[in-house]
Amino acid sequence: MEVFLQTLVAGILKGGLYSLIGMGMSLIMGVMKIINLAHGQLMMVAMYITFACFHFLGLDPYLGLFIAMPALFLLGCLIQKYTLNPLMEVETILPENQVLMTVGIGMVLTEIARFIFTSDYKSVQTSYSGATFFIGETSFSVALVIAFFIAVLFTLIMFWFLLKTDIGRSIRATAQDKDAALLMGVNAKRITIITFGLGSALVAAAGTLLMPIYYLFPDIGGPFTRKAFVITILGGLGSTVGAIFGGVTLGLAEAFGATYIGMAFDDMIGLIIFILVLLFLPGGFKRLTKI
Amino acid sequence: MKKFIIVFSCILFLMGAMLGSASAADTIKVGIVLPLTGKLAKFGEIENKSFLMAVDEINAAGGVNGKKIELIIEDTTGKPDVGRSAIEKLITQDKVPVIGGGYSSSVTWATIAVAQQNKVPFLVNTGSADKITEQGWEYIFRLNPPVSEYPGGFASFVKEVATDLKTVAILHENSLFGQKGSKKFVKQAQSLGMKVLMKEGYEAGAIDFKPLLVKVKSKKPDLVYMISYIMDASLLMRQAKELNFNPKLFVGGAAGFTLPEFHKNAGKAAEYVFSATLWTPSVPYPGAKEYYDKFVAKYNTPTEYHGAEAYAAMYVLADALKRAKSLTPKDIRDALAATDMMTVFGPVKFISYGKKTQQNKLPTFLVQWNNGKLETVWPKSIATKPYVYPVPKWNER
Repeated sequence: MEVFLQTLVAGILKGGLYSLIGMGMSLIMGVMKIINLAHGQLMMVAMYITFACFHFLGLDPYLGLFIAMPALFLLGCLIQKYTLNPLMEVETILPENQVLMTVGIGMVLTEIARFIFTSDYKSVQTSYSGATFFIGETSFSVALVIAFFIAVLFTLIMFWFLLKTDIGRSIRATAQDKDAALLMGVNAKRITIITFGLGSALVAAAGTLLMPIYYLFPDIGGPFTRKAFVITILGGLGSTVGAIFGGVTLGLAEAFGATYIGMAFDDMIGLIIFILVLLFLPGGFKRLTKI
Repeated sequence: MKKFIIVFSCILFLMGAMLGSASAADTIKVGIVLPLTGKLAKFGEIENKSFLMAVDEINAAGGVNGKKIELIIEDTTGKPDVGRSAIEKLITQDKVPVIGGGYSSSVTWATIAVAQQNKVPFLVNTGSADKITEQGWEYIFRLNPPVSEYPGGFASFVKEVATDLKTVAILHENSLFGQKGSKKFVKQAQSLGMKVLMKEGYEAGAIDFKPLLVKVKSKKPDLVYMISYIMDASLLMRQAKELNFNPKLFVGGAAGFTLPEFHKNAGKAAEYVFSATLWTPSVPYPGAKEYYDKFVAKYNTPTEYHGAEAYAAMYVLADALKRAKSLTPKDIRDALAATDMMTVFGPVKFISYGKKTQQNKLPTFLVQWNNGKLETVWPKSIATKPYVYPVPKWNER
């Protein structure tokens, strides 16, 4: 029982962070209809910002959120405005080229990080990095619990933003039908820029929240891009609610897989679910909800 | 247009020929394959710096029979397929007569086959899966001990000191290095009279090891033996501490547990962890401490056994090039086979034993983290500090 509970807790806490990672990608997927393959690399950039703030300014990683998120929002906007949008305007270029562009951006970001910070492993050691509390026999990592609740908070803010604000409505409108949105007077180009910025800021939050418990090196982006991709597919392309389900599902699947099948199959379990969903539930968990 | 292309290609060809002949005359090319990017880049960098440091010293001291050594370093990115094309490039385009480097068992395994096929000698200095020198391939040499011999120093420690260890759980990274190392350790543990309760692999780079650790904890082993790279190693220890998991002993099987970053990242959780290691600055070989000091002075960052391997390998290569009758791969191979010298990494002599051929045999040591410092604790004759055993429980520290 102890093993089961500990696994469940581990899965849900990790799932919270995964949701945050997946949500950013889903948002971008929904509006631009492209997979952002630089997603993990953007997260890496945010992690380096947090690391630099901690290392040079002594700023707590949670306060680093307030620097990393706006910075990544800006970076995301710039990427969309100056690298992705120009590609969209060229008629002969396929939309796939934007995806290729994101791959290139990812590589450039990785190598810039390597140039500045070298390949060394970095980590942020805070007083609460290794802190735990016990409920019964189950151990909770303080940093992961905080990360989980902040992730939930961001998710709620995100929903409020999408449902209640003008820009949020415009984003949803563009995602549903770009041409109709244009006809209704939505500045679609501006919306794509804001969306990419938001997606980047969300993954920046996830990266920053990971910092106290995880570590950092320039090539860390790739695996997270892959995770985000799986989550986005699980959730149903472009669905933010779906991304939350997708994230938690992936977190739980990995945790239970690690305990009851074997941790060596960590990645495989996620990808098997990925294939099963594609086969039997194309459209992902979005199919099961109405939002 | 056609004429232009012909003229252009002629010029290119001539330039290529001129460049080729200019550089071939006064230097000896040595190819090195290392992961300089990708997730193994950290170790690749340490080895890269050590190779460069050694080659600078050798060239400053007059080079090899008056010729300077030129290193051509190719990036394997830590992937077997990239490593394969890297070594193919070295052999077919750069035409190097000898190759060094070889980090990570999986990549090395893929690359040595190319070297053997093309009959170019390859001195492996880190790739440690046993099968690398078990093929009877006469062009493959290995400086470092194979992974199955890493726990040698640990075995004598168990026999003489930690005699109360009865059960063991083995965790390993799910790579060639981890799989082979853990399989060999199962046998070793059994021959030491220990019962293996579980042996589990994990995917490197995981965020959360708790599900795995909870499972290990519930089996209550006396000894936890881990074959992990640095960051997995620190997360494993940190999370073991978080779970208040207290086996009698945590032992790391070389690789990640001896690096300064391990302590930096694991913090207090690193204390008293034992690790088998192939080299520490305090080993009784001439030049070992000097190498460490020189490295720190030059690059302002510490080095460890991977670096020492690379540094020693460069000297072995230079020595073989000096003795070779001519600079053909065949003669260099023969010179390598006759190597008998002392390096910072220990005595080097390529011998055959068991299934292995052209393998260097070295003892291994046991180190322990004590107050933030990595102390050599076993064998006693070279210990820098007495060992701490049994290890205090997490909440009693």
